[in-house]
Amino acid sequence: MNDTVLREVESEAGRPRQRFILEDTGFDEVPKKYRRFYRRLAGPDDSLALNEVICPVCKVVIRSTRELREGDRVYCMPCMSRLVVVRSDAGHLEARVVY
Amino acid sequence: MSREVHALAPEEFLEEVHSFEFWLHSVEGYLADTEFGHRPGAVDTELSPDRRERLITALCNYCIGETAALEGASGLIGFAPNRQTKIFLATQVVDEARHLEVLMHRLSELGVADPEREIQRRATRTLQVFRRRLLELVASKDWEAALFAQNVILEAMEFAAFQAHARNADPITREVLEGVIKDERRHMGFGENELGRRLAATPHVRARLAQVKRELDPLVLETFEEMLAELGIPRAERPELGRNYLATVERLGFTP
Repeated sequence: MNDTVLREVESEAGRPRQRFILEDTGFDEVPKKYRRFYRRLAGPDDSLALNEVICPVCKVVIRSTRELREGDRVYCMPCMSRLVVVRSDAGHLEARVVY
Repeated sequence: MSREVHALAPEEFLEEVHSFEFWLHSVEGYLADTEFGHRPGAVDTELSPDRRERLITALCNYCIGETAALEGASGLIGFAPNRQTKIFLATQVVDEARHLEVLMHRLSELGVADPEREIQRRATRTLQVFRRRLLELVASKDWEAALFAQNVILEAMEFAAFQAHARNADPITREVLEGVIKDERRHMGFGENELGRRLAATPHVRARLAQVKRELDPLVLETFEEMLAELGIPRAERPELGRNYLATVERLGFTP
């Protein structure tokens, strides 16, 4: 899903980090005020945006208002997991559980 | 508009997601307009006698699993380590009771005159053994082992099995199962994260849990694999059941 890019901020090692306006995606498993931070994976062809990672515990897509980078901390409210964003061996960003 | 969720402090996050308030506004999102787990007035499709029989057997066994979870979760409250955990488990008890009720109601909708009797008649031996063992762990007040058996082994298997079944189910059963799956996300995640924190603080517990795992996970895996085969779930989708569970225990540091 592509959310509207708001602006680019937080220059990090010379590369600016994009900001996003999150839209409600119809995700209904958390209270209304948190729903825009999550969405369902739409199938094998679904691609993740720069501000999204998949929760390894429950497979929900976690969304942030900013472009995600290695070391960022995110929360999966639907399954109550704390996660850290890491770069996989394949080179893409993924989330890992922090207990 | 709410602040960025991911900026919450870890303690704030845990307090929020374990609260009754969080649970209430979460289930409101997907259960508010349902009756017994599905939209009122949803029309049942006609199932062949064979498919109906298989579905009834699966639902009866789900009822055994949900009864075990209901009894297990309510027993865990008595020796849960803190108030936050007790409150979360209270919400889980309500979820499990709802699951049992909607599944029994679905059996009635399918024409089962006496669901209680039918559940006993069709229950698989392995799942009954699991239930008995889970309740023994709860009775012994072994927090880590009971939580592992219930919220990791049972919930992770149910989560994967119900997902595979829902993809291949008639519309009403699918709606009922989809509601259950949404609840299971919380139970499964709670179990893994609570145990993950406990294991990090008390690594010696791991050996005891490995023994519980060796004893119990074949019982649940066998039951749900049988159920999915019985329901005619494509073979290609069945390995997902074990994969989801294995991924969970691997994250917790257990080797398959």
